[in-house]
Amino acid sequence: MDWNTIAEVLTSAVRMATPLLFVALAELYSERAGLVNIGLDGIMAFGSLVGFLVCFWTGSPFLGVICGALGGVLVNMVYAFCTVTLAGQQIVYGMALNIFAPALASFIYRVVFGVSSTLAQATLMKTVSIPVLKDIPFLGKLLFDQTPMVYAVYLLVVVTMIYFNRTKSGLNYKAVGEYPKAAETMGINVIRTKYIASIICGFLAGMGGAYLTTCYVNTYSDGIVAGRGFIALAAVIFGRWSGSGVLMACLLFGLFDAMQLRLQVGTDLLPYQLFQMIPYVMTLIALTIFGSKIAGPKSKGKPYYREER
Amino acid sequence: MKKILAIALVLCLAVGMLAGCAKTEAPAAAEKTFKVAMICDSSISDGGWGAACYNGMTAAAESRGWETAYTDAIDQSAYADTMISYCDLGYDMIFAPGNQYSDAVKQVAADYPNVAFAVLNGSIELPTANIMSILPNAQQIGSIAGIIAGLMSKSGVIGFIGGMELDTTKAKLAQFTAAAQVINPDIKVVSAYAGSFSDTAKGMELAASMINEGADVFFGDASAVDSGARQAIDQANGDTVKIYDIGQPADILGQNPCIVSSVVTDNARMIAICLEKVETGSFGNEVVFGSLENGAVFLGKFNDELMSADLQAQVAEYIKQLQDGTFGK
Amino acid sequence: MQKTKTLNVLIPVLSILLAFFIGMLIILALGKNPIEAIGYLMKGAFGSKTNLANTVVRSMPLIFTGLCTCFAYRCGVFNLGGEGQFLAGAMAAITVSLLIGHEGWWVSIVAVLAGTVAGGIWGLLPGILKTWRGINEMITTIMFNYVATLFMGYLYTTALREGSVPQTAPVPDATKIGRIFPDLRITWGIVIAIVLGIAIWYFLFYTSKGFQLRAVGFNPVASSYNGLSVKKYMLTAFIVSGAIAGLGGAADVLGTQFRLISGYGGGYGFDGVALALIAQLHPLATVAVAYFFAVLRVGSTTMQVGTGVPTSVIDIIQALVIIFAVAGSSMMYLPKVRKFVTNLFERKEAK
Repeated sequence: MDWNTIAEVLTSAVRMATPLLFVALAELYSERAGLVNIGLDGIMAFGSLVGFLVCFWTGSPFLGVICGALGGVLVNMVYAFCTVTLAGQQIVYGMALNIFAPALASFIYRVVFGVSSTLAQATLMKTVSIPVLKDIPFLGKLLFDQTPMVYAVYLLVVVTMIYFNRTKSGLNYKAVGEYPKAAETMGINVIRTKYIASIICGFLAGMGGAYLTTCYVNTYSDGIVAGRGFIALAAVIFGRWSGSGVLMACLLFGLFDAMQLRLQVGTDLLPYQLFQMIPYVMTLIALTIFGSKIAGPKSKGKPYYREER
Repeated sequence: MKKILAIALVLCLAVGMLAGCAKTEAPAAAEKTFKVAMICDSSISDGGWGAACYNGMTAAAESRGWETAYTDAIDQSAYADTMISYCDLGYDMIFAPGNQYSDAVKQVAADYPNVAFAVLNGSIELPTANIMSILPNAQQIGSIAGIIAGLMSKSGVIGFIGGMELDTTKAKLAQFTAAAQVINPDIKVVSAYAGSFSDTAKGMELAASMINEGADVFFGDASAVDSGARQAIDQANGDTVKIYDIGQPADILGQNPCIVSSVVTDNARMIAICLEKVETGSFGNEVVFGSLENGAVFLGKFNDELMSADLQAQVAEYIKQLQDGTFGK
Repeated sequence: MQKTKTLNVLIPVLSILLAFFIGMLIILALGKNPIEAIGYLMKGAFGSKTNLANTVVRSMPLIFTGLCTCFAYRCGVFNLGGEGQFLAGAMAAITVSLLIGHEGWWVSIVAVLAGTVAGGIWGLLPGILKTWRGINEMITTIMFNYVATLFMGYLYTTALREGSVPQTAPVPDATKIGRIFPDLRITWGIVIAIVLGIAIWYFLFYTSKGFQLRAVGFNPVASSYNGLSVKKYMLTAFIVSGAIAGLGGAADVLGTQFRLISGYGGGYGFDGVALALIAQLHPLATVAVAYFFAVLRVGSTTMQVGTGVPTSVIDIIQALVIIFAVAGSSMMYLPKVRKFVTNLFERKEAK
């Protein structure tokens, strides 16, 4: 392996980690408020379609990303209403989103574009290189010659870390995920926090989906999300529900994916499924080693009944 | 409890009555309109395999005045049910584009001897009294692409991206390699399987890493994944095209700047043969081959800016040899 | 109390009808006749002997995954790994039937047992993590699902692959689970499923062990004060529920699908969770709701074929059914609704 190859693998790892990071942060905000949302794949699928369509029509990838994110919020409101207001099973609604949202996206695409032998192509977001910094050998191209979305997501990681560890509001937010009843008695509006969490989750997951079709590839096709939502879910657990942990987990999983693809090229077919297992197996091993210390917010997955005493 | 039963009963009756109303359909027209339906596990708007097969079917049906219908994006457990539904609704032929449907086709075909089943890429042993295989010559498709790649490559490295390890894909890869090596014995082929027909981003990453290995001509058999690969090639090219892609199965020249030509499979032509056989009652026990010889496989248009007239003439000459059987001898 | 029970049935039914109503509006908006669509749905599900048989065939795997959820949830174990355990069962069954080198009815019994054991083991793993390390099973079971799905991919593309398409060889004819009626696809698997449903119902509600198991699920703290080993019961629930799903996978691959292929068994696990919740975790109701799901699947296939609406519309309608029905049943647990319901009945009785 020469430097050129290593640089190329790392660039590709950063590229592949970015959508994961958006979605993993989405899940982080959701789970910190006690809502386990496994509908990330669905939200991403819808976000990627809306992002693509807007980008295709207006020619503006930025507008596409924003609209994709709003589309994600819209879809996630179904989840929020059913799990927060109706106190339904979070897993079932996550899964329902995974059936519902991609089907809706596929349907809309079919209505708009019909059936053609080629996929419609939209413009991609341009990379914006940061002067001076981009000329640093090796790291420059890797870190400072990317689309603004990449910078945005890393900024978001920092903001998330500060918010949850250094601000009062962040501590209150975490309290909702840990001890909702105690939080309620402290005067925190649990229901409202959960809704805000769902809005953030939908926004970021939709953005992650839109990233795929506005910054990564310039087409939309059914199945474009390809299970990334579930890898992001694993990344949140592997990253022990913290901003920095999630960042490391996503980069690691992105690196594995990039390396796995390179290993396939040139060598005789390794069973790629065994590579694809790595994120899940690693997460399980990490859980086994660290045990319940990192079991995450205590009330996650449980419905919250306000009037209950 | 009684109340619930009563409500349930009333609901059932209501639904039953609605169902009854729906059944009063118009009587059959004097002249029979034939109907063909396609099932597909991927989406038909994938800009690749599904779309090519669907367009092939509709074109064939239009040429012979048939009606069409389709069901796409279904799971394995629904293959048989879907075909049964079409059979029950009086469809004359069912078109299943892929060998993965063979099991379900065999099962349903046994129960519906009056319905014709055409399986694209079906095996040679598959046909029965009401099943036919449609088999485009994967070797020739691979060879044609290999010839172009061998002539166009300056770096001596060419790339191939497959979706799944289907026999037809493996055959394409083998002949792609063999044909390119006839032109240039030192040429190196880098190949990989995406494990998916829809993960566009993966196609992009695979192509990017192959470009890094020096590949400068690409061929693929991976549907939507191919469009990701083309995008990576375009990005690597920037303003001047120096890395090329060969398209398939439709003629997609002009879709991306990097496309130099396409190896076209004329599904419509082969499906139309099946439709005709249904009309004349001679369907079954047969494989419809698609090849250069009968025009169901052919080379698409060239991009004149990327390929000189001289090279184009050479490609034509080699393809002629391929038909004669003298290629590489 | 009787009346709350009636409401428990009525609300999910009404929610499902509401979901259908919205679905019909969508179909109307697409310019198709919704009444005709319902007609096709009914015809597809009940139109002929074959169709009716199909609904039964399609319900079998759902009954198993539904019962898997039902048994685990009753003990307070939120096993979402029905999918992976189902696949583990199917993989073990097909591996045994292909590699044992013989075929015959005894091989199918061995294969079914292997599938059951494999499912049990796949359930045991998250169980150990839960009881030994205290890790939330919702997360681990989802991870295990993915590992199982990917491992199945390895089996059908590499290890047990046969021929041109990535798929395993089919189960030998003599090893297939027999049909009850020679001309219909219904196998003895459905009998196993229904008997299992009844057995679980009897166990949970009419035996002392079953009562204790439910007690653990209802209130683990109180149960451990009463001397019950909560961990032991939970671990049992993991293993048994996994074994149920594994048995289902074995019965499905040996009786219906015969081979593993890309996309095999997708969604059965989560369908199982959804339908068990709609059935309010009652084993017999689970069997009934599983059958309803199958009717919906088979019927909506014909509905799509008959009306020509895109397949995605059918998926949307089916998702709406899950969303509405589960919302309906979870609404029953809301304190506000509960209070309202009790008030309603008390007032009536006062009159």
